[in-house]
Amino acid sequence: MRTTATYLYAITRPISSAEVSELRGVGGTAVRVIAHREIAGLVSTVELSDFAEQALAAHLEDLDWLARTAREHDEVVRAAARIATTMPLRMATVCLDDDAVHTRLETLSHSAVAVLSELDGCDEWGVKMFAIGPPPSTEGTTAEPSTGTAYLTQRRRQLAHRDSTRETAAHDAGAAFARLSKVAVASRQHRPQDQRLSGAEHPMVLNAAFLVTRQDEDAFRAVMTDLVEQSPPDAFALTGPWPPYSFVPSEDL
Amino acid sequence: MTSLPARQDASTLADVLERVLDKGLVIAGDIRVNLLDIELLTIKIRLLIASVDKAREMGIDWWEHDPTLSVGQRDIAEENRALRSRVAELEAASHRPAQNEAASPQAQEHE
Repeated sequence: MRTTATYLYAITRPISSAEVSELRGVGGTAVRVIAHREIAGLVSTVELSDFAEQALAAHLEDLDWLARTAREHDEVVRAAARIATTMPLRMATVCLDDDAVHTRLETLSHSAVAVLSELDGCDEWGVKMFAIGPPPSTEGTTAEPSTGTAYLTQRRRQLAHRDSTRETAAHDAGAAFARLSKVAVASRQHRPQDQRLSGAEHPMVLNAAFLVTRQDEDAFRAVMTDLVEQSPPDAFALTGPWPPYSFVPSEDL
Repeated sequence: MTSLPARQDASTLADVLERVLDKGLVIAGDIRVNLLDIELLTIKIRLLIASVDKAREMGIDWWEHDPTLSVGQRDIAEENRALRSRVAELEAASHRPAQNEAASPQAQEHE
C-alpha cells in the first residue's frame, strides 16, 4: 500500500541531485532532482501520514507547523536559486509519486523554459514602505477634553492628521515604486501586509516586489539608498534577494 | 532601516508566508488543498486564543499596542468568547463539504 508521495518545491534549469544532496526540506526530508528534458523538478519524498489531504489540511491550520514548513519550503527554493534559475512553486504541491511529477513536467516543459529564460540572471527584491508621519502637534491636545464637543474636535483633528499622513505616504509610495521600477526588469505591487499579523508599528503603504538583474543590483540599491536617506528612519524595509516568487505566472502553466 | 541592510536581510514570517502561500507557481498536485482557506486573519485570532506566549516568542505582539485589547478595559473571558465565535463564523464560511480522502473541488484563484 502506498505510504509516501512526492512533494514539489520548484522547477529549475537542469541541476543534479548531487548539487542538492546536502539540503533538508519539509520535515527534514532529503531533497533530490527529477530531471526532465530541459527542466528539473526539485522534490522530496514525504509521508502520506503528513501530506494526504486530511492530514495536510489539519497541519495547515496549525500555525507552528505552517510556519516551520513554510520556512523549510523557502529554504529549499532559495538554495536552488543559488545554483540555477528557479521557478518557485507555491507550497504544498504534492504528487502521488515521481511518475506523476514527470507527467506534470512534460505538460509544462515548453512554457517553463520560456519563463526560465525571462528569469535568468535575476533576483527578486522586496520593498515595504510605512507611513511614518511627524507626531501630531500637541496644540490643544495636551489637556483631556472636558466636553463632548472638545472631544469630537480633538478626534477630528487626529483623524485629519492621520488621513493627511496617509495621503502623503501614498503619494511617496507611488513615487518610490516608479523610481525603483526604472532599474528593474519587472515590478509588482502586493496587498499591504495586515498590520495586526505583521506586528508592524506603522501602517504599510507599499508592499512591492522587483525583478532585478544581477548587473543592475548596484543601481537598484543606489536608488534605495537615496530613498532611505530622504525619508524618516524605518520608512523602508528591504528584503532579498528572493527567488522570483512574484514573477512566475499565477495561473496553471 | 536607516541604511541598507546587507543582502539576505532577515525576512519576517509574514514575508515568507505571503510568498509561499499566495505567490509562486500553482501546479495542480494529486493531493488537493486550498491554501486560501488559511485566512491570515483567522491565524491572528487563533494566536490570540491559543497562546499569547508562543506568539510573542515569534515576535508577534501587536495586541500590546492595541488600546482596544488592553487588560482592564475589556473582560478577557468575554473577549475570548467573542473571538471564538468569530473563528467559528470564518471556519463555517470557508469550510469545504468533503471530509473524505477523495479529491476535493479545484482550488479557486482569488484576486
